[in-house]
Amino acid sequence: MTEIKKTYKNYVGGSYVRSESGKTFTVELKNQNYELPLTSKKDLRDAVTSSKKGYESWNKLTEYNRTQILYRLSEMIEGNKESYIELLQEHGLTKAAATKDVDNAIDTVVWYAGLADKWEQVTGNLNPVAGDYFNISHQEPIGVVFTLNSSDVSIDKTIRSFLPAMTVGCSVISFSENNSVISLKLAEDVNNSDLPEGTLNFLAGDFSKIIDDVSRHVEVNALALYGKLNKENLKTINENASTSVKRVFNLPSEEGLSSVLPFIETKTVWHPKGR
Amino acid sequence: MNSWEYSESIESDSIVSIQSKYGHYYDGGFTSPKSKEYLKTVSPSSEEVLSSISIGNEKDVDAAVNSAKEGFKVWSKTKPIERAKYLYKLARLIQERSREFAVLESLDGGKPIKESRDFDLPQVAANFFYFAGWADKLDISWGTKEMKPYGVVGQIIPWNFPLLMLAWKVAPALATGNTVVLKPAETTPLSALLFAELCDEVGLPKGVFNLVTGDGSTGSHLVNHEGVSKIAFTGSTSVGKYIQNATADRDIGLTLELGGKAANIIYNDAAIDQAVEGVVNGIFFNQGHVCCAGSRLLLQEDIHDEFINKLEKRMQTLRVGNPLDKNTDIGAINSKEQLQKITSLVNEGVKDGGQLFQIECELPTKGFWYRPSLFTNVQPSYNIAREEIFGPVLTTLTFRTPEEAVEIANNTEYGLSAGIWTDKGSKILWTADRLDAGVVWANTFNKFDPSSPFGGYKESGFGREGGRHGLLSYLKVKS
Repeated sequence: MTEIKKTYKNYVGGSYVRSESGKTFTVELKNQNYELPLTSKKDLRDAVTSSKKGYESWNKLTEYNRTQILYRLSEMIEGNKESYIELLQEHGLTKAAATKDVDNAIDTVVWYAGLADKWEQVTGNLNPVAGDYFNISHQEPIGVVFTLNSSDVSIDKTIRSFLPAMTVGCSVISFSENNSVISLKLAEDVNNSDLPEGTLNFLAGDFSKIIDDVSRHVEVNALALYGKLNKENLKTINENASTSVKRVFNLPSEEGLSSVLPFIETKTVWHPKGR
Repeated sequence: MNSWEYSESIESDSIVSIQSKYGHYYDGGFTSPKSKEYLKTVSPSSEEVLSSISIGNEKDVDAAVNSAKEGFKVWSKTKPIERAKYLYKLARLIQERSREFAVLESLDGGKPIKESRDFDLPQVAANFFYFAGWADKLDISWGTKEMKPYGVVGQIIPWNFPLLMLAWKVAPALATGNTVVLKPAETTPLSALLFAELCDEVGLPKGVFNLVTGDGSTGSHLVNHEGVSKIAFTGSTSVGKYIQNATADRDIGLTLELGGKAANIIYNDAAIDQAVEGVVNGIFFNQGHVCCAGSRLLLQEDIHDEFINKLEKRMQTLRVGNPLDKNTDIGAINSKEQLQKITSLVNEGVKDGGQLFQIECELPTKGFWYRPSLFTNVQPSYNIAREEIFGPVLTTLTFRTPEEAVEIANNTEYGLSAGIWTDKGSKILWTADRLDAGVVWANTFNKFDPSSPFGGYKESGFGREGGRHGLLSYLKVKS
């Protein structure tokens, strides 16, 4: 019987799409090579448009609902555990290392799922101002976040590059380079987890091809760079970002409460007390 | 027109002694500038030269940063509770010498003494008290012990609240274990120089607080100095963008508190008289030299005429004049340049078709002054409705529905603050949720407290000052 091979595509707005440019790049694994879409500037713009809508939809849901959707993602990954382990082995990991990585990834999703309806209780608070005022620091998501995935071959790391922002209500465009097969495979489980369209988009390609556009795009509210960049690229990003005071987070924390802090805006509301 | 006559009640300026010339402050003492250059600081209410201050060049900044580096070696090993005590002592000294500071602030900056005395100075002391208490509680502030200070922090502050901005910056930076090189504004350096004397008096270890005076070039040297690990800036959005750009290739902490064009939304069910007071306070406080000023008045259409009528009457009672007169509501415009900027934007607004109301009052012959002004009949596209004027000029727009109010309020690159006036609680919460603003005042405006985080969305900058959230601006946090 002829074995058939899966075609991996970008995942944007709840659909699997090729690059509009028709261009691809090759990821060479142990036994297979994959031709993946080489994301173009136009693909990026489409993803941003989708993420804007996704942001609205994600924020219409209650935090309780978001918690369940993220938990559903962990169930999906658990169900496909063997295939992830195989894929990681294809990337050169030992079976033990691959198994550990997938187990960690599941735990990571469960951890963030449970945080989705609690983080504001930890990061927000009443402020004891000197006077008869009710004063509260309410916490809001920063908006559309573009994340550059770490180059480590790891499902857990990939997940840690988009879940912190999503947990606090951001929509995310997750961009991967060498480990794109992993993230595009993950897109399938994301697709089966009831996430509203556009909440999480996956793109593959060569970051240097879109670096200028993504850092200039005014509808991208923040860039989180989990992948290491050279000084020159980092400079380009920050310079472009400065034209609209865009937030750029270089190598942000990947675990615990500090991992979500970059993606929060604090809104402090005052009201007088009286009769 | 003005129905009440007041007798003058002038606060004496004999309490302050201003030296004819000031050096920079680092290594625990005042030093003449290596640049050998000075600039004059004038009183904007009299145009009198008050003193000459040093212009910091690259070498001056370098010396101050080195001093801060040395200071950090000591300060980072100083027990947190000892750091706290220094800050408490500073708070106490500020309280004790608060009248002197207030007069100095009004002389150098032009703000009414009632504001420097009753607002700025009490807030300055409160900030030092508040952050002093955090110094030895950082481990419980965000539930993690793994928080580190940056090291040397470069701080650049504006001229609208000179000493208060110093307090907002210096108190949390020192509490979290950083050392500071502060660059006060070119036009208002005197209160910061007096503060440096206080640091001596409390015995703050040398190099912990450092001060370099000067102009924009001095600030630029500070921003570009490799020894600075974090920059905290308050000022215009254009300079904020310059700083973000200039530090693009460095691994550096950055917080920016930039401009604003806040909407003050008045729903038709608001308590109108209170709202009029709030709107007046929102825009005319400190001559409108406030980044979070409520400079766009958003009126629900059906109350427009009634509201404007009451507002104009109330505005006419504002007293413009000598900042040291205790009856003065509106002091001097901070500088000639700022006065020119305000004048030109207002002229443009008139040319665009806006209807301008200015109060009738006599203005002093010397100094820089501007009449409290109100624009009606304004289109959202006019520059007066978009650009930060940073003066006593209010621009009126109207709306019909809450949705429209939110849309107009958010239709700006800025996102620092906003106001909501209504008697309906659910409408406050609905509106507050939808406004892109870091601070929302509901049925009040321009309220501040050291425990209350302040800072913007969008192009109004990033990072917060004040409160528990303000600590994060000066700490690297790991979980």
